[in-house]
Amino acid sequence: MSRVEASRVELLQGTLELLILRTLLAGHAHGHAIAKHIQLTSEELLQIETGSLYPALHRLEAKGWITPSWELSNKGKRARFYRLTPLGRKQLVAERSKWETFSRAMGLILNSVDQETQ
Amino acid sequence: MNAFFRKLRWLAQRRDKEAELREELRFHLEEEAEQRQEDGLPQYEAQLAARRKLGNLLVVEEDTREAWGWTRLEQVARDADYGLRQIRRNPGFSAIAIATLALGIGGITAMFSAVYTVLIRPLPYADADHLVMIWDDMSKNDVTSKHNSTPAEWIEWRRLNSVFTDLATSQPGDATLSGDDEPEQVPARKVSWTFWSVLGVQPMLGRVFNEDEDNKKVRVVVISHGLWQRRFGGSPDIVGRKISLNDEPYEVIGVMPQGFYFMPSRDIDIWMPASFPAWMRKNFTWHDAQIVARLKPRLTLEHARQAMSVLSLQVTAKDFRGPHSVIVNPLRGEIAGKTRTALILLLCASVALLLIACVNLANLLLSRSAVRGREVAVRTALGAGRGRLVAQFLTESLVLAAFGALAGFALALPAMRFLERLVPEAMDAARLTLDWRVLAFSAAVAIASALTFGLAPALRGSRLAPQEALRDGGRGTAGARSHWFQNSLIIVETALAVVLLTCGGLLLETFQHLRNTDLGMRTERLLTFETPLFRYKDFDRRVAFVNAELEKVRTIPGVISAGSINLIPFTNFANATFYRLEGQPTDSFAAQVALIRNVSRDYFSTVGARLREGRFFSESDRKSDSPVAIVNEPFANRHFAGRSPLGRRFQFGEKGHWYTIVGVVKQIRESGVLDEAKPAIYRVHEQCDEMDDLNAGIVVRTGVEPASIVSAVRQAIWSLDKNQPLARIQTMEVIVDRQLSTPSQSTALLGAFAVLALLLASLGIYGVLSYAVTHRTNEIGVRMALGATSRQILLSFGKRGLELTVAGLAIGLVLAAIAARSMSTLLYGFRPDYIPTVAAVSLILLAVAALACFVPARRASRLDPVIALRNE
Repeated sequence: MSRVEASRVELLQGTLELLILRTLLAGHAHGHAIAKHIQLTSEELLQIETGSLYPALHRLEAKGWITPSWELSNKGKRARFYRLTPLGRKQLVAERSKWETFSRAMGLILNSVDQETQ
Repeated sequence: MNAFFRKLRWLAQRRDKEAELREELRFHLEEEAEQRQEDGLPQYEAQLAARRKLGNLLVVEEDTREAWGWTRLEQVARDADYGLRQIRRNPGFSAIAIATLALGIGGITAMFSAVYTVLIRPLPYADADHLVMIWDDMSKNDVTSKHNSTPAEWIEWRRLNSVFTDLATSQPGDATLSGDDEPEQVPARKVSWTFWSVLGVQPMLGRVFNEDEDNKKVRVVVISHGLWQRRFGGSPDIVGRKISLNDEPYEVIGVMPQGFYFMPSRDIDIWMPASFPAWMRKNFTWHDAQIVARLKPRLTLEHARQAMSVLSLQVTAKDFRGPHSVIVNPLRGEIAGKTRTALILLLCASVALLLIACVNLANLLLSRSAVRGREVAVRTALGAGRGRLVAQFLTESLVLAAFGALAGFALALPAMRFLERLVPEAMDAARLTLDWRVLAFSAAVAIASALTFGLAPALRGSRLAPQEALRDGGRGTAGARSHWFQNSLIIVETALAVVLLTCGGLLLETFQHLRNTDLGMRTERLLTFETPLFRYKDFDRRVAFVNAELEKVRTIPGVISAGSINLIPFTNFANATFYRLEGQPTDSFAAQVALIRNVSRDYFSTVGARLREGRFFSESDRKSDSPVAIVNEPFANRHFAGRSPLGRRFQFGEKGHWYTIVGVVKQIRESGVLDEAKPAIYRVHEQCDEMDDLNAGIVVRTGVEPASIVSAVRQAIWSLDKNQPLARIQTMEVIVDRQLSTPSQSTALLGAFAVLALLLASLGIYGVLSYAVTHRTNEIGVRMALGATSRQILLSFGKRGLELTVAGLAIGLVLAAIAARSMSTLLYGFRPDYIPTVAAVSLILLAVAALACFVPARRASRLDPVIALRNE
């Protein structure tokens, strides 16, 4: 399933959902906008695959963390917008703290001063 | 829960969801394309780039749908729908597949319902698995080994045993019920007061009798639910009512619930106290009590067998014939009797038939999966995974199996009506139904068979490499690999068919032997009935009444002659007596037992018995001090092999009369059509001196249909005594047929299974060869173009089919030899000649297989090479 190009960072399993939730914290958005936002905010390091974006959106919707509505895009076209639900907001907090713990742990290990090589 | 309802709502909005998804993705594409146009790409290229970036639109849609959480179910539904369409698209194939499965599933469903009813259904006793029957093992002393026990043994065993919580006796005790209605003989049993507690049963009304009533010979009875309904209209005040049994008043104290029965027959209507007389309590030769016992908790049958065989030898040490051991058997096995073996055999046969059906279908599907190679290749190319393909194939198999099961139920119902007649007499009659147990069993069988026949083709069919299959011009390949597999399937089903055919053949041979058994009489147009003689207390009046009866019956128009015998032939193994021949020492009594029958003078001529030597009874044989007797051939052979017994004398007790043998009659199987004839002695009833013969069996030879004179016979007897009951009015042919019903029905059923098996197996061979011919048309064309004659082609195809058949035949015959051993009880002591059966089976199989091979092989040999090659 992973069709990420070599120059870019591959998304870790499960992180896409966290990114979507975080993106929607700023307000409602449609799929394309979400992908663009993640790409831009990550300084183009993360490229979101359409092939996994929409399944992820629908999964989150099935879990009740985000809810869709049809609205007009800024170009005046009908688009499916997603917004966070209260449940999704709670989930974001939980997922986020989990991720922070994880990334801190990874950082501690990777950045630790190696006694033997010194 | 919440999530569930959300999903449910989505399911309802299914169509909208699809449209929304498409619109959402279209919007994404447009957005992406516009952005690229803004970046400077021309419109067309921008659109293409957007499309490329998105990837396979269908896959994205599919993945997204999966997020909805209903995909798996939908896939099954879609596969099932596809399966249904496959069925419609290939009506010929589907009809064969469904019919094959219907035979297999229908057969096993019907057999399971019978097996459940007879062998698994709970018996109407508390904790019936702890109940056993105990028989005397008289193989040392007597013609039959499994004997009823004696009340004296019961008393001793109760006192001394350590393995049973209690034991109970049950003795024959038919009684005539008289009163307001016509006198009626009702089947009754005399049972010990422990009977109720041993079986753990309660009456539905009133109570059962206690030890005190039993010992003091109080006249109380417990009646069956059936009698209560039939004779007393289900009246609730039956308890306490006096009824007249054998002209004596008895008080009804209880009614047993519906569905209660006990050996030896479901028809017992009256249970009365055994009330053994004092002499019976000490007599070790009065074998007329069946003994049922309850094992102590946690003890097994083996414990009981060991303990009882030791105890019995000890208890019967007082018997003048010497001690004997006992046979302890589970009650359920005793109730099922020979039916058990027959049912198990038939169940195995139905399993074999189902296996053949599955193997056949597997073969058909294998052939078809090769044909469907192109379809599979296309699906694979479009991204279907192997698991997905296997799931699809299996779902199709399940759809077929579901239809097969439905059709099978339709076939099972009439078969079940037939099987009901196999329910043994010692068990309550049951109507076999498709109840939830049977349906659940069949559903499980259908699923198991779908997996059996569907898995191999599914695995093989899904293994194709798409490039090869697509390149192959769409003909599909299975390759040489599949040959050994299909070959072994053919061998398996042929072998199974051979086993069924051989077993069926052996049963048929046995049945024919039983049918042709010399019964020693002419059974056609012979009416029989019994007139209980309890109303005539002394011997002379009984004889006089019997003679008067016969006289009256003879005057009925259509009657040729009439005779009497104390026990109707083929129905009773009771009444055996010790005897000794003149010149033998007095201790010979202990070792010699013969059946004894008391007949009127014209009995033998009435039944059409045949003499070996000497004479039948004649007018001159009257009450006298020098009585005469006729013995049967087994008796003559026992003592006078090669010599004539005429003029020799014997007696029944040291002080008894000496009887002179005046004739030897060809054997009549008194104890049953299926039982070997035993030594028997016949006397004229006027020359007997016993007090215990309270029945007169009457046989009437008619020139008209026996049923047509029944009412005239009743009137004739009632004109002598209006209170005289008549019992068991039936023709001799009915008696014989009933005894042959288990062998005849099991033979018919196994025969049907065997024929179906043969049919399916030959269809299997035909199918595989036909497929091979179609598949190898090309090769045949090449061979013919290179000079092969059509004869060579014919032989090469025919050879493969026949090789498989012969391999299956060989394996099948070996298996059949093993199977035949396990069904020996169904051969009734008959040792069938295996050679003709095996020869017939082999010939039939080879002939059918040859035909099945010949048709496709001939088609191959007739191919036009030009057309065959153009087939490319």
